[in-house]
Amino acid sequence: MDYITQGFKEAIKLLISLDKEVFKIVSLSILVSTSATVFASLISIPLGVYFGIKRFKGKRMFSRITYTMMSVPSVVVGLVVAIILSRRGPFGQFDLLYTKKAMIIAQTLLVMPLVFGLTYGLAKSRGDIIERVAFTLGANKFHTVTLIIRELKIDILVNIATAFSRAISEVGAVMIVGGNIKGYTRVITTTISMMNSMGDYPMAIALGLVLILISFVIHSIIYSYSQED
Amino acid sequence: MEITIENLERYYGDRRVLYIEKMEIEKGKITAITGPNGCGKTTLLNIIAGLDREFSGVIKYDGKYLNRETVDKMTIVFQKPYLFRRTVFENIEYPLRIRGINKVNRKPLVVDLAKGLEIENLMGKKAHLLSGGESQKVALARALVFKPELLLLDEPTSNIDPDAINTLEREILKFNKETECTVLIVTHNMEQAKRLGNRIIELSYN
Ligand SMILES: Nc1ncnc2c1ncn2[C@@H]1O[C@H](COP(=O)(O)OP(=O)(O)O)[C@@H](O)[C@H]1O
Ligand SMILES: [Mg+2]
Repeated sequence: MDYITQGFKEAIKLLISLDKEVFKIVSLSILVSTSATVFASLISIPLGVYFGIKRFKGKRMFSRITYTMMSVPSVVVGLVVAIILSRRGPFGQFDLLYTKKAMIIAQTLLVMPLVFGLTYGLAKSRGDIIERVAFTLGANKFHTVTLIIRELKIDILVNIATAFSRAISEVGAVMIVGGNIKGYTRVITTTISMMNSMGDYPMAIALGLVLILISFVIHSIIYSYSQED
Repeated sequence: MEITIENLERYYGDRRVLYIEKMEIEKGKITAITGPNGCGKTTLLNIIAGLDREFSGVIKYDGKYLNRETVDKMTIVFQKPYLFRRTVFENIEYPLRIRGINKVNRKPLVVDLAKGLEIENLMGKKAHLLSGGESQKVALARALVFKPELLLLDEPTSNIDPDAINTLEREILKFNKETECTVLIVTHNMEQAKRLGNRIIELSYN
């Protein structure tokens, strides 16, 4: 049992001393997952609202497919992106595999359906009345979508936070397309996974704590913001 | 705006909830529609407003079918208003903003209406926190601010206090007089129908 307490002690030491390697790994994680969340949100939020309020044939089937896509396994996304980016793949010429860009692309694709699905569901249930009012005041499609985003911004922010949490805590996609290269594509989750298999617990525990802390900070910010509104 | 309706029918499943063989709403006048609960008053207003397209029959606005231009020139105030989660001022100016009218020109129009409706003191407040009467006034101001040619009101004064009712009725009359806007108001209050309406239409079950 000693190695557990020992592991925690050393983990805390690593964090307090602002260990350079830990810092590098954590900042890359944040950079990759934030970029992915931002790109995914910019695309998926307007689309989610648009399709959420749109009436069209086969919307039920569309909903079912959408909700299924939301929980697509990260290794599958990683695999698909790896195949596309590999030397012989359609985007092979850009030499992106095992780079930060590849990781951002993979995580963007991973959380896009999640952000889309959450926004879609939200707009479907609560966008209707807003759309009706907007229509009667002379709003066009663009005005309507932006209005709904503004009206539902708290819930949308929570969705964005959910997407970020999914991105920063996933390991499958970044492992496959990033390759866990030290000092280059190594992020929190890939390090934890590697350290664990090597039996090096202090670093793994330290990074695990950081991951929890990040999640806590984000949800606290959103919570206080929603209380204010 | 003049409205003519012919053979209008609306079904929910195989139940017909509205049938109007012929109806004309005169331009520039206030027409009051009364009738028992569930006789289709709200359904009729929603259809005229373009919110409900699942009807059969013909509705013409100044002799033409509903189009984008018509939609831009009319509006409806619901029985339970939905106000945006913004300030009262921002709610009222919204129709002007989406019509591309600049900030400097928006302000006097908003302030003017707010004065008439006695809500100038609420301008900075969050609209979704207002009382029923206050909300209805803001909803009316937001509807009038872009000077619609057709104003549809669905029981705008149910569940609000007598003072607010007086103010709302006064401003509706004033607006109709000043702009010659066609007004169609649904009310279950016969006295109100008489006070406001140049003409009263009684709708019955179909
Ligand atoms: N979404 C709906 N589905 C089924 N029936 C409806 C729906 N909306 C309204 N109705 C029915 O249509 C009839 C007319 O409703 P409504 O126009 O709201 O009446 P009013 O406004 O005159 O009280 C009512 O019998 C109501 O039950
Ligand atoms: Mg009604």
